[in-house]
Amino acid sequence: MSKPSDLVQGTLDMLLLKILALEPMNGFAVSQRLKQMSGDVLQVSDGSLYPALHKLEQEGWITAEWKTSEYGRRAKYYSLTRLGRRQLEKEADNWGRLSSAISRVIKLKEA
Amino acid sequence: MRPEHWMFTIPLRLRSLFRGAQANQELDDELRDHLVRKTQQYVGQGMTQEEAHLRARLDLGGIEQTKEDCRDARRVNWIQDFVQDLHVGLRMLRKSAGFTVVATVTLALGIGATTAIFSIVNAVLLSPLPFPEPDRLVRITFSEPGLGLRDVPFSVPELDDLRNRAGVFTDVSTIASNSVNLTGADHPERLEFLVTHSNYFSMLGATPQIGRLFGPQDFALGFAPVTVISDGLWRRAYGADRNVIGRTVRLDGDPYTIVGVLPPEFRHPGPTVSGNVEVFQTAGFSADPAPPPARSTRIMPSSIGRLKPGITVEQAQARLTAMATEICHDYPADYPAQDQWTIEIQPLQEALVGNVRPMLLVLLGAVILIVFIVSLNIANLLLARASGRQQEMAVRCALGATHSRMIRQMLTESMLLSVIGGAAGVLTAVGTIGFLLRLVPSNIPRLNEVRIDWVVLAFALAISVLTGLAFGLAPAFQSAKAALSSAIREGARGSGSSAKTGRLRDALIVSELAFAVVLMVAAGLLLRTLRGLLEENPGFNPTQVVAANLPLPEPNDPKADPYLSLAQETSFNRELLRRMRAIPGIELAAITSDLPTTNLRLKDAQAIGALSTEDSPIDSSLDLRAERIRISPDYFKVMQAPLLRGRFFAEGDEDGKQPVAIIDETTARKYWPTRDPLGRLVRFGQAPTLPPRMVVGIVRDIKNDGLDIAGVPHIYVPIYQSPDRDLSVVLRTSLPAKVLEPQIRHEIQSIDPGLPVFGISSMNDVLDRSLASRRFSADVVGGFAGLALLLASIGIYGLLAYMVGQRSREIGLRMALGARRWDVLKLILTKGAVLAGVGIAVGVIVSAATASMMASLLYGVHPHDPLVFLAVPLLLFAVAVLASYLPARRATKVDPIVALREA
Repeated sequence: MSKPSDLVQGTLDMLLLKILALEPMNGFAVSQRLKQMSGDVLQVSDGSLYPALHKLEQEGWITAEWKTSEYGRRAKYYSLTRLGRRQLEKEADNWGRLSSAISRVIKLKEA
Repeated sequence: MRPEHWMFTIPLRLRSLFRGAQANQELDDELRDHLVRKTQQYVGQGMTQEEAHLRARLDLGGIEQTKEDCRDARRVNWIQDFVQDLHVGLRMLRKSAGFTVVATVTLALGIGATTAIFSIVNAVLLSPLPFPEPDRLVRITFSEPGLGLRDVPFSVPELDDLRNRAGVFTDVSTIASNSVNLTGADHPERLEFLVTHSNYFSMLGATPQIGRLFGPQDFALGFAPVTVISDGLWRRAYGADRNVIGRTVRLDGDPYTIVGVLPPEFRHPGPTVSGNVEVFQTAGFSADPAPPPARSTRIMPSSIGRLKPGITVEQAQARLTAMATEICHDYPADYPAQDQWTIEIQPLQEALVGNVRPMLLVLLGAVILIVFIVSLNIANLLLARASGRQQEMAVRCALGATHSRMIRQMLTESMLLSVIGGAAGVLTAVGTIGFLLRLVPSNIPRLNEVRIDWVVLAFALAISVLTGLAFGLAPAFQSAKAALSSAIREGARGSGSSAKTGRLRDALIVSELAFAVVLMVAAGLLLRTLRGLLEENPGFNPTQVVAANLPLPEPNDPKADPYLSLAQETSFNRELLRRMRAIPGIELAAITSDLPTTNLRLKDAQAIGALSTEDSPIDSSLDLRAERIRISPDYFKVMQAPLLRGRFFAEGDEDGKQPVAIIDETTARKYWPTRDPLGRLVRFGQAPTLPPRMVVGIVRDIKNDGLDIAGVPHIYVPIYQSPDRDLSVVLRTSLPAKVLEPQIRHEIQSIDPGLPVFGISSMNDVLDRSLASRRFSADVVGGFAGLALLLASIGIYGLLAYMVGQRSREIGLRMALGARRWDVLKLILTKGAVLAGVGIAVGVIVSAATASMMASLLYGVHPHDPLVFLAVPLLLFAVAVLASYLPARRATKVDPIVALREA
């Protein structure tokens, strides 16, 4: 499965979980929201997004539901499950620890 | 993963698996929805409809690729792929029916043979004895290494020491096996019986089928008047009558009450003559007919014991060794220091099957080599097929199949083949095991436990999967790699990419030939051994000799004994010989107590009696022993055994005359190395009161104990001076045994209708039977070696034929440029010869390194026998060159015009 090269391994999952934690939405909306929230810094190609969503679904972290969209067609809406919420907390935790550790290292004054 | 997690994921996986179509439809819908929105977004940014649509598609990075990635996320792809591969595989197998049949049949033969042999190995060597806690059961033996004696008998006080003083056993029982005459049924029968202590069955944990087994109430100083019979005897002699309990049966004339019948699966876990003990008795060995117990009265041949729980064999052995030292110290008169009397224990299972282990392991090794050769052969066929499928693989590769995915498909195909072959193999094994068991020599213990059980099935499955992997991996990797490299370049015609495949195929053929050499060398050594033994001079002329056994009963009650005195038995013997000689067609008749190469009474140290000669004083540090054989005067004339010096026995060598003896060369060499034994005196036992015998003759050695046993000293004594109950008659006649059988039986039973007469056969058959187990292993390994030779020649033929097909353009070109037929012939033949040469060289090296493992199965043949190591390579080489000649000749028939035009 192709992975976006500029994303730390595993962070895409966390980002997707976070976005879906805010509200249930469909794949297209997720891609828009991702771009929006990260200020276009995180570019996730559509080709990577869908396999990632399907993987999360298979893990049981998100669940999908078919609803009629505002355009009058059937669209697949993803929402976070209880398991997914727990997973998000775990990953966010890990991320927090990792990033603060890295920033501490980066901010070290050079002698 | 936590179970809670599975609750979510399992239904999802199942859905993906079984509602795959729906899932795919939804995936389509989802992506289409995405494209529509994205397009609208781009249109909103000012693009044209077409431009926007294209951009949206590009963003998705190849819709099919994305779909495949999404499907991969479902994690059940491998199952679907597997099912798909299975379909493709089955289609391929159906398409190439010829290949499938050949491969399946060779696999069925290979796996079937392996499974059958393994089922025997499993039952005999691997599975625990069918008794509760079998690892606590041990065989107890005494040895006197100082005298070079193993398995010396026990005395009653020694057995008590094992029970009471050692402290490591919960139970010890003697096991004394012998034969007995059963009378009172419709005809007299010779049965194998076992005398034990009353705790024998409870120690083994056996339970009766009907009635009861022995218990403490059966304890007796002499023989208890009760008996337990086997299921086989119960069915044969009593028609499985449940009222048999309480019936009286006469064994050697003594009456015993049947108290129980054993279940069919019970087998005595010790040495037996016929393979199955049918009558069990219990005795204390301390009163009549046994002599009063004393340390030096060693009358019990062997024992088995059950260790106390938690005591290991090593701990018990240490304690018993210490106890033996104490006993030797306490009773120095009974245990001379130089005898080095010791006690040894061995797990019962080892003791029981130890002597057949090498043979079975060699058979298993042979059959596993056959499986290797079969796999290599099929691997070669598959490789050839795979090269034919390079184009298909290249197309798959171009369409996006990954390397691993293609290997998986090829492996699925070969696994399918091997599992089909394995199933056919198991059926073969089930169908042939009964036949095989009839060929197996009956001296192999535990054959009654042989069955195709789940252990055997698991083994067959494992062998099938392993062969599938073995013959599937190489072609799979090869074709996947070839496909990747050559992609869609030009197809199967290219000879550039086949160099590597060619090398791999060469390696396969070379190892196949090497395995064949190992098998053929093993077979050659075994066959040479068998041939040597068949040609071995037994020391007499077995042709035109018919033998029959007629053991006399030996009742415990002297009043019931018609052969009690020497005079009584002598008159029987003389009458017997008179009647035998009266049968028309019989020239000479004689009696012997030990028919050569038969072992009707489980010879042990007891049969090989101690002796002393006037030339070796009693206090000599060396205990002299020789096997004593009783014969009637004409014995050596019937057997046509040459007299070297002195005279044969005469009718006058009877009771009341000078006791005489005839010795063989080994005895003469061993005990009279420096002087002439003729006229010297010899005495059995060391008691000075026994009358000494005078040596009156020396005969050439006779292979009494088996064609493959030499160097045992024998002393022959006249049966008219020293009676024996184990009688056989030998008759010199030109008539076949079958013709004489009714008359022999009739004449013997008109003297004593209670005598069983059995084993009436020609002496040549007797010798032949003594080689049954060697013949079996030589036949089986020889058969496998023949199969290996056939498979190897098919392999080399197939490889070269394929090569000729592949290179026909090159050959045509060479011929167009002036190559002669001979050059082309040489090209192919050289290839075959080089492959054969390398394979044979490797095989010879491996054989030379491993042949010594077979040493215990060989007799008179060195494990590195030059003849075998010369003949096998030559034979295989000749066959290989012959197998290469056929394709080589076809190569010379290549028409340059046709070959070049086709290209």
